Amino acid sequence: MALLVRIVVTTLLVSLTSYLIAVALSEVVYGTAAAPITQALYQRLPPDGQLRNQFIYLLITHALWVTAYLAFAMQRHRYRAELRQAQLGEALQAAELRLLKAQLNPHFLFNALNGLRSLIADEPARARDAVTHLARSLRYSFAASDEDLVSLERELEMVDDYLALESLRLGDRLRVELDIDPAARTARIPAMLLQTLVENAIKHGIAALKEGGTLRITARIPEKELILQIVNPRPADSAVATGEGVGLRNSSERLRLLFGTRARLELDLSHAGLATAEVRLPA
Amino acid sequence: MRALVVDDEPLARREMRRLLDAFPWVEVVGEAGNIDEARARIEELTPDVVFLDIQMPGGTGFDLLTQLDRVPRIVFTTAYDQFAVKAFDVNALDYLLKPIEPERLATTLRKIQATPLATTNHTPLEQLFIRDGPRCWFVPLREVSVFTAEGNYVRLLWGKERPLLGRSLTALEEKLDPRSFFRANRSQIVNLDFIQQVEAGTGGRLHVQMRDGPEIEVSRRQARLFRARTTVG
Repeated sequence: MALLVRIVVTTLLVSLTSYLIAVALSEVVYGTAAAPITQALYQRLPPDGQLRNQFIYLLITHALWVTAYLAFAMQRHRYRAELRQAQLGEALQAAELRLLKAQLNPHFLFNALNGLRSLIADEPARARDAVTHLARSLRYSFAASDEDLVSLERELEMVDDYLALESLRLGDRLRVELDIDPAARTARIPAMLLQTLVENAIKHGIAALKEGGTLRITARIPEKELILQIVNPRPADSAVATGEGVGLRNSSERLRLLFGTRARLELDLSHAGLATAEVRLPA
Repeated sequence: MRALVVDDEPLARREMRRLLDAFPWVEVVGEAGNIDEARARIEELTPDVVFLDIQMPGGTGFDLLTQLDRVPRIVFTTAYDQFAVKAFDVNALDYLLKPIEPERLATTLRKIQATPLATTNHTPLEQLFIRDGPRCWFVPLREVSVFTAEGNYVRLLWGKERPLLGRSLTALEEKLDPRSFFRANRSQIVNLDFIQQVEAGTGGRLHVQMRDGPEIEVSRRQARLFRARTTVG
């Protein structure tokens, strides 16, 4: 409604201006001032006066149409821009929500709660520990943002919490070996990077195997570069699942934004039954 | 009611047992940690109901069902795969979200008790689990009008659906109730309840008009059997 009022008002204003200009110009063009334009007067005007009035009418009508069209076109343009903006914002929000959900890993979370429910009666001490691990793990995921860099030491603490909870679930199917060069512990890495890779290794590797397997994390700094490796067994016939692809793509993209070409992430699936994720970062 | 608990997580199995303790008329007869174990337990113990996790190493709960000849009552238990379970929208199915709420479990158990399913190995097959592409069904056999061989598989004519079963027609025929199903020709089995009209054809053959559309030809050899059966019955 507001739009309609605005168009009508704009049109009238421009028409009025056009009319005034036409009246003013008629003095210059025809040598006489414009006559009144009511029908009754028009009939009584001499031929040259009628011609002049016709000119003025035409001018006004023309201005009216042009203005109406312009107002309509402008409004349509603005409306489309707003719509595009809204759609863009929606898509962005949906992407953020997906990322957040993935970070929270609902499958893991509900399974952990289920295991916890079972522990509460039988092994209250283990249940209390599990709550602590879960709280620390959640707090860390909530606090981490895309731009954050943390020490490898800090990220490893978080991975420890996560692995303690996964052990609850998987029992002796999950075995972990850490080989961390002391010099590498202070290296800065994007928050949640190692965590994401470890989650992938368990979800698509060890948890998918009946007999489970050993997750091996190594970190070293041979020459001004941190090399992080996550090695895990996986089902021999498994292809890269879509979820895994998305997680890896996000991590790669973050590395590129933070370090440009000086960092890279590779997943090597060339050996059947084995997956090796390797991250190289400037140290 | 005899129950089997299938989950790859020991803690989850323990939790399920504990929840079921509250129902003295439910007896947990066994556990399994993956689908191969589960198949063996189901064949050996013939439980009335199976609490089945979906994500397991070596294959999903759905994979297990496609491998079973005789599918017991299934209650899916899942932490976050309810979307996968909803692939079953064609016919309602029971599922419980972990951590399981005791009240939900009670409701589910009461529902199962109210609609028992024959599960002994001697009774004829009553339902089939079929996965065709992304969709899954429990197909009650009395609702299927025609089974048609397609190579080594069988296409079912079931209402508006045409699911493909990954077995041969001959293997299926052995499991079907001979009182309700009849081998019409080399490549088709018909459900006698769906026959609308029978007409004599040339050379001793028969033409059978099915209630939901197709006309099936009964071969000469089978037509004799068919006549014998229908006049007696």
